[in-house]
Amino acid sequence: MQQILNLDNVWKVYDMNRAGYLVVLKEIDIAVMQGEFIAITGPSGSGKSTMMNIVGALDIPSWGRVNLKGRDVSDMSESELAELRSKSIGFIFQKFNLIPTLTALQNVMLPMEFIDAPEREAKERAQKLLDMLGLGDRSHHKPGELSGGQQQRVAIARSLSNDPEIILADEPTGNLDSKTGSFVLEFLQKLNKEGKTIILITHDLELIKYATRIIHILDGKVEKDTGSKNIQRSFVKGGLKNEK
Amino acid sequence: MLTNSKLRSWLTIIGIIIGIGAVIAIMAISEGAQVSLEASLGGLGADIMTITPGYSTASTRGGMRRLLESTSLDDEDQENLTKKDITVLKSIGNIKYVVGRVTESADIDYDGKSITRTVTGVETEDWHNIVIDELSQGRYLQKGDVNSVVIGDKLANEIFDGIELNRFIEIEGKQFKVIGILTEGSDIYMPIDRARDILEDVGDEEFDSINVQVSDPTMSEETMEEIIDRLMMLRGILKEDERDFTVTSMQDVQASINEMMETMTLFLSAIAAISLLVGAVGISNTMFTSVLEKTNEIGIMKAIGAKNKDIMRIFLFNSGMIGFVGGIGGVIVGSLAAMLIGGSSSGTASRGVTGSLLNSGAIITWELIVGAFLFSIIIGMIAGAIPAYRASRLKPVDALRYE
Repeated sequence: MQQILNLDNVWKVYDMNRAGYLVVLKEIDIAVMQGEFIAITGPSGSGKSTMMNIVGALDIPSWGRVNLKGRDVSDMSESELAELRSKSIGFIFQKFNLIPTLTALQNVMLPMEFIDAPEREAKERAQKLLDMLGLGDRSHHKPGELSGGQQQRVAIARSLSNDPEIILADEPTGNLDSKTGSFVLEFLQKLNKEGKTIILITHDLELIKYATRIIHILDGKVEKDTGSKNIQRSFVKGGLKNEK
Repeated sequence: MLTNSKLRSWLTIIGIIIGIGAVIAIMAISEGAQVSLEASLGGLGADIMTITPGYSTASTRGGMRRLLESTSLDDEDQENLTKKDITVLKSIGNIKYVVGRVTESADIDYDGKSITRTVTGVETEDWHNIVIDELSQGRYLQKGDVNSVVIGDKLANEIFDGIELNRFIEIEGKQFKVIGILTEGSDIYMPIDRARDILEDVGDEEFDSINVQVSDPTMSEETMEEIIDRLMMLRGILKEDERDFTVTSMQDVQASINEMMETMTLFLSAIAAISLLVGAVGISNTMFTSVLEKTNEIGIMKAIGAKNKDIMRIFLFNSGMIGFVGGIGGVIVGSLAAMLIGGSSSGTASRGVTGSLLNSGAIITWELIVGAFLFSIIIGMIAGAIPAYRASRLKPVDALRYE
């Protein structure tokens, strides 16, 4: 498998002025191979979200190197980062984060518009993705007219618009019932089997069963990295015990 | 993006509508007044000069000033114009016609209605050559006419209820036959000798003004110089500032009025510009609020690939749209206001200079409409530029976190 993402001694430190410095991430060394389904877990305040921001090229590290598809993210301009995000990373958020004034179809088309895809092609692809997620008949509905599960499916369709290599899902089932949550996770698993790299950020240890690798963050450091599916079960047992 | 804040957007748009509307209305009314003035003054001809008693120091711009000052001068202190002046003027080579005039207020009676109006006595011999107002009916005064008058259409049909040709009107108790009706105006012209008979305060050998028409209008300046020299010589005046008459060309009057109109337009436009500026501040305010409201959405868009320029474009488009809609509304409101103001005051009685100018009708040109409309969009975009820039510079991670 080919390495798609590499974090090399990544630190994220915030200057709190008089309060000193707040170290959120430290000494993070992670290599992600293409086609992995990684679950990044950890309790609240452990640094998961900061990690997601850095992995998703939404933020840059204070120190260290982030290499995405062979390019050093730390040195990229805002415009280059935006382009990288639009083409290589699909985001799925806990709160769906759809644009409320746009229809489902327009929301799915939006990432394609940012890379100047022809409108007709974008429309066709967006409709196809919504059909795939069982929302073909809701494409002209606005987010407010859709249920939470439907909104998250629109968000998944949007994350796939530009056919990115990595899907970054931040607590994607956090606002969903268990049935819809299972659908989302199974869909991510399906995408993973089709070759997409999935990075799932969650504090819910029930969800890690879908992942092929689990990285546990604690106090800004990688506390445990299973590295493979086989180690997962022992991690679950050990992890649960440790956290309790 | 602004649908959630429709009311705020519409209130902002109203600000722009008022600003653009005010600019359009002022410019259209001003343009109408200017064209109307030019038409009425231009009708008097660029080849005509007027000599009046009293001296105004301004020469080239003296016309308007003279006109404005003339009412305040004490008639008794002035040396009136005389037949000698007429004789001298007739001897100047480039002068084609010379017509002496006397003017005085008189009581006019017709069909039981009585008004006071200015009556002008003119030398009938050449008057028809020098008068530019066209006849709608009848004929001009000519040599030999005695109890005849030529009146303006407005006097005939608006001030009185339809004075017909060959009907008699009473002036200072004397009957005069209407032999001609001019296409416009409310003036009354009669033979000068008859005017001297019936009008008070009009001396026998004196004139209130003299009109001259030059043969070659390109030599107007030289002719004016010669008129001044010759009349000064006749009156034994050596110094320019001691002379007791003023020579005014219609070009001077026109230039002065145009200058006054331009100043007035500039002043009113400045007031309109202030309201437009307030409108622009309103757009800025709306856009800043919008950026604040949409911070999370900006974060989402940036996360899914929007570049700074995309965000900038979205917000500039929004502020431009406010300008666009405000521009359309402003053009409509301004045009209606201009037509309403330009037309509403017609038909009323004497209303002074301002009323007359407003009455002259608004002229709304395509240049004005397109210019105001584009200006509105540009204002919208300029006002939205800083909020749009700030929106574009938001860090995606911070924007996403914003609640």
